Amino acid sequence: MSPARTRRTRWVAGSAVAVALLFAGAATVASARGGTETSGPPRTPSAGSADAGFARDMAVHHQQAVEMAFIVRDGTEDEDVRRLAYDIANTQAGQRGMLLGWLDLWELPKTAPEGQGPMAWMEGESGGAHSDPGGHSGHDMQGMAGMDHDGALMPGMATRTELGRLREATGAKAEVLFLQLMTDHHKGGVAMARACARQCTVPVEKRLARGMVEAQQSELDLMADMLAARGAAPRP
Amino acid sequence: MSFDRRTRLDQMRDADRARDRRNRVIGIGLSAVVVAGLLGFGSYMLLERSEATESKPAAEQDGKGLDDKPSGPIAGEKTWDAAKLGRDHVTTDVKYPMEPPVGGNHNPAWLNCDGVVYEKAVPNVNAVHALEHGSVWVTYSGKASGSDVDALATRVRSTPYSLMSPYEGQAGAIMLTAWGKQVTVDGADDPRVARFFAKYVQGAQTPEPGAPCTGGVDG
Repeated sequence: MSPARTRRTRWVAGSAVAVALLFAGAATVASARGGTETSGPPRTPSAGSADAGFARDMAVHHQQAVEMAFIVRDGTEDEDVRRLAYDIANTQAGQRGMLLGWLDLWELPKTAPEGQGPMAWMEGESGGAHSDPGGHSGHDMQGMAGMDHDGALMPGMATRTELGRLREATGAKAEVLFLQLMTDHHKGGVAMARACARQCTVPVEKRLARGMVEAQQSELDLMADMLAARGAAPRP
Repeated sequence: MSFDRRTRLDQMRDADRARDRRNRVIGIGLSAVVVAGLLGFGSYMLLERSEATESKPAAEQDGKGLDDKPSGPIAGEKTWDAAKLGRDHVTTDVKYPMEPPVGGNHNPAWLNCDGVVYEKAVPNVNAVHALEHGSVWVTYSGKASGSDVDALATRVRSTPYSLMSPYEGQAGAIMLTAWGKQVTVDGADDPRVARFFAKYVQGAQTPEPGAPCTGGVDG
């Protein structure tokens, strides 16, 4: 064999190895990168996750706060209560839209997985059988499976009967009842938002939940003062 | 009798040539194995990655959640072209071409649909407005059993954006309706009930997402 031919053979073999090495290296890098979050579709929460559960349940919870705010604005001329109600209605309707929008993006139902009551996603809450976060034992989730909740599907939510009383009340009576019902509502809401701040995995959702805890706690203080100014107090 | 007539020099040259050939075979063989190995390894990494990407959504379902995603057709479901369903607010009565109506022009006031069970028949013109807001409407005729009606009422009371009412004259004993969608089910425990609720309570068919189910009228 001529030296020229030997050299050519070695050169071809060497090039083939080099090209193959490049390919294998590139494939490894691409594969490793796929393992982190730099490419591929974003992670989507499952229907049973805290992320989806909070989005579903808080959307329902918020809707009732919006409803109560509209009712009291029809029932009183008091500027402070009407302004608070205006704030709550707009804020919670907006946040509700975010929560529902995420469920739409995740292509998840607005209803809980079959056979699960509301708030089953909350850890340490024994399937939503809640230990009275709002200090309002009438509204805990015992008996959630039945139909005696009278529309109060989650802790802190008012019953249909209570909403009916709020609709009929006017003036100072409406203001006090609204502040008491909304205080209970916020306490239930804060407990649920805390659970998401702890358990949720989607950063923007955790952030919204933390914001709810802070804002609703500050409104709880405000409402306690407003109740005191009207010679009333939060319900036990 | 045979003997090597070649010179010693010839014999040495033959041996060199044989060694060269052997080295070349080993060289080419080894290179081929290395190249094939690297190609195989690289392809495996790429394939594995694309498979992982594909199977991710399924892997993240929590076991029981095969119908987590509100997609896929529901057996026996009827669909109307939403673009052809009227959406004007009218104060007159409206004749709907299907019973119960699945959409069309409707009254300015929506029927409250915040998990409300109506004991009496409700006006079509208000119920259709509730469908536009994203609710599921459960209707039953006199042919439905009492236990089915009770079980469905329990479900509706726990489900905001659903409502229920009797509806005489409808074809099936129990029917579920959303905007542009309708199915007749066999009973309260027909699995299509859960599917229909999961898919259409504030579902993708909703013409006005985010609109309320409270603050309307009670029939």
